[in-house]
Amino acid sequence: MRKSPAVLLLSILALGIQQAGNGLWAQGTKKEAPPTPKFKVGDTAPDFTLLDQNRKPVKLSDYRGKKNVAVAFIVFAFTGG
Amino acid sequence: MQAYQENLKKLEAADTQVLGVSMDSTFSNAAFADKIGINFPLLSDWGGDVTKEYGIYNPQYKAARRVTFLIDKEGKIVQEQTDSEAIDPTAVVASCERRKLKS
Repeated sequence: MRKSPAVLLLSILALGIQQAGNGLWAQGTKKEAPPTPKFKVGDTAPDFTLLDQNRKPVKLSDYRGKKNVAVAFIVFAFTGG
Repeated sequence: MQAYQENLKKLEAADTQVLGVSMDSTFSNAAFADKIGINFPLLSDWGGDVTKEYGIYNPQYKAARRVTFLIDKEGKIVQEQTDSEAIDPTAVVASCERRKLKS
């Protein structure tokens, strides 16, 4: 009989940990559909002007009539890919 | 980006300009370009306006999805690659070389 409060406490604690664990697990597996490009093959790519690593502006349409352009969006600098 | 750097000569020979874009600052792009030896423009879409306009802003990571758009000389999108397939530039190199042969 003397043990029961401790046992009760332990089981409450265990339950709590399990629930916290479930919460984390759910967060890890939560699936959000990745964003899909608004423009498809055949569409005109919208123009943009952005600064390069030397803070020099680069405009997409400056290459029109001269070169193809491979625009590679990357997730973060300092990552693979 | 390193893979694109390695294929830069082939892409240039096929009349293709490579532009890397991320939502990093120009300062971190400069450090990144320096570290891995990138000598094509690495553009800073600070705030993500262009990333959002192209529809590839991922709110979960607060960053762009890995997508490569190949745009021809008329400004039309001719190829799109996403995620892991976008990392390998082989297909982009091949289609640029094909386009070069045609013109």
